[in-house]
Amino acid sequence: MSEVRILIVDDSSVMRKIVERALRQAGLDPLVVHEAGSGIEGLELLRVKQVELIVSDINMPSMDGLEFLRQIKAQNLAPGVPVVMITTESSEEHVKQAILAGAQGYIRKPFTAEQVKERVLPLLKAA
Amino acid sequence: MIARMRGGAKEQEGTLSLRDSIHLISDPKNLDASVDEAFRMMLGVECQREVEPSAMESEQVTAVVGFGGVLSGACVVRSGNSAAMKIAAAMADMEFTEVDDIVKDAIGEMCNILAGAWKGKVPDLAANCGLSVPAVITGRDYHLHVQAPEFRLVHSYRFDDASFEVTIVCDGIQ
Repeated sequence: MSEVRILIVDDSSVMRKIVERALRQAGLDPLVVHEAGSGIEGLELLRVKQVELIVSDINMPSMDGLEFLRQIKAQNLAPGVPVVMITTESSEEHVKQAILAGAQGYIRKPFTAEQVKERVLPLLKAA
Repeated sequence: MIARMRGGAKEQEGTLSLRDSIHLISDPKNLDASVDEAFRMMLGVECQREVEPSAMESEQVTAVVGFGGVLSGACVVRSGNSAAMKIAAAMADMEFTEVDDIVKDAIGEMCNILAGAWKGKVPDLAANCGLSVPAVITGRDYHLHVQAPEFRLVHSYRFDDASFEVTIVCDGIQ
């Protein structure tokens, strides 16, 4: 697989590492990872970096993942780039909110690398 | 009845009483299953429940994630410093010699995952109970006190030679 550039947005640096590891285990290697600790940082990175996939947490202080998604759309950043939300929130309502905000995929924590592979690879192929 | 939600959950109209299903919410098996899921799926390690917990180091790390909405309370993960560093090492794939910000972040995140997995076991909770961002406390000789809780589950677990304790405390239910 050719190099894949990914933006991981999560206020937990440990969670960003776990997501990166799961993506590599899913076969996304070589991988170029840009990390952001908040939605605001994520938006700043998207203004200067090109990525093929965005993976974001939902529950974050200052700007949550749903607002981050809305801002990506409103500012027309990363058009056509799939966004996958990774979160502890698992109800249908939360999934619906994420999809309405512009997410194409949803992964509930805890997750396995296999689940990441099943949800992420088809999005990358389709993009 | 109108159930008022905190923690990002929405106000919802209609009859909603978790009291009727308190036996499901307070089922200790849900906590064991959540811990097992979190450690097996995220870290690839098995956790054993400790019926007779070993004494914990006096220097400790405690993470708290609050529940708000139809249920108020908290999920608390507490461990000695060395166990916290072992859990963080498994999560971050790094070695630690002190409880630094990454270790605190890891224990907070583990608490967040456990809180989400636990509330996800009961559909009404999954949909109508919000989670706070984790708070992490370090130090020695502190005690978490909740006035007259509705219920409290306190279980100890071990993975490898690291012992830790998980508490679910509920102080309000609608």
